[in-house]
Amino acid sequence: MNYEIMLMIIGMAAVTYIPRVLPAVFISKFKFSPKFEKFLRLIPYTAMSALIFPGLFSVDSDKPYIGIAGGIAAALLAWKKMPVMVCVIAGIAVDMLIYAFVGH
Amino acid sequence: MKKVSKNSRVAQYINGVRCALPVILGFIPVGIAYAIMARHAGFSLGETCIMSLTVFAGASEMMAVGMYAGGASIIAIILATFILNLRHVIMSTCVFNEMKSAKLGTRMLAAFGVTDESFAIFTTSEKEKRTAPFFVGLITVSYASWNVGTLIGALSSDILPEIVSASFGIALYAMFIGLIMPGLRANLRLAVLVIFTAAVNTILNFFIASSWALIISTLICAAIGAFFVDLSEESEAQ
Repeated sequence: MNYEIMLMIIGMAAVTYIPRVLPAVFISKFKFSPKFEKFLRLIPYTAMSALIFPGLFSVDSDKPYIGIAGGIAAALLAWKKMPVMVCVIAGIAVDMLIYAFVGH
Repeated sequence: MKKVSKNSRVAQYINGVRCALPVILGFIPVGIAYAIMARHAGFSLGETCIMSLTVFAGASEMMAVGMYAGGASIIAIILATFILNLRHVIMSTCVFNEMKSAKLGTRMLAAFGVTDESFAIFTTSEKEKRTAPFFVGLITVSYASWNVGTLIGALSSDILPEIVSASFGIALYAMFIGLIMPGLRANLRLAVLVIFTAAVNTILNFFIASSWALIISTLICAAIGAFFVDLSEESEAQ
């Protein structure tokens, strides 16, 4: 075992767990206003939007259309109320098909 | 009575496992990719796996091995990991705000499993689903698939043909899209907010590091949305 790498892993585990656990410990101490509750309920949507854009365009950094095509396939099926698993498989299938034609 | 509540906890857990199945398609290929990068950076099989078992944060782990390969110092890597993971303060607050009644020990254990993906599935599930056993079910699948992916990648570098592994890059994005769409479909103002957030974050990415851009656009846009989006008609998310 490399001493330096182990030290790095321990440090990373700590700084990853701390932001996750602080709200878990202290949440019961807080009573939020309705406005703040609404703010918290909107965060999943704004966070996921920010996770998708602009990252989706660089799924393949040389071919932005890979992310766009897979994303559109998933969005269309989601719009048709398909289960999340179906959207994911469709996104993968569309990209695989494109790679089969244009190469990787 | 006790038996009934135990059974319902088991049912909630199983439901969590079921809802997390799409994560497998995202985590195993990314876990493989991380492990391959780690082995190339000079990590042993054991170190590669211990990192995934103890850190359990895909983006951070990939960044860390990339920085290590580039000769960055340990302090710089840990600091960058911390900044990248600050977003989990926000996500964890949203998750545990729904789980206030769970025991402290349960919450501290569940906190280890707060990822973009478990947060995304949990917070977009129906209100009655958002329980501690459900969340632990989500974590079980995510943690298992992340570590199985890591192990596969660490053992063998080219199990998947290039075209196949490249195509799985879309998986987690497709999952996020699938998760938010039902809410957007039912609520035009929420859809406007999501498009607005996408624009804000894309623009911010030109000026600041993406980990900061994500935090800032998430918080600011949710704060703006609190003034014009009506969540009552969306009836506790789809």
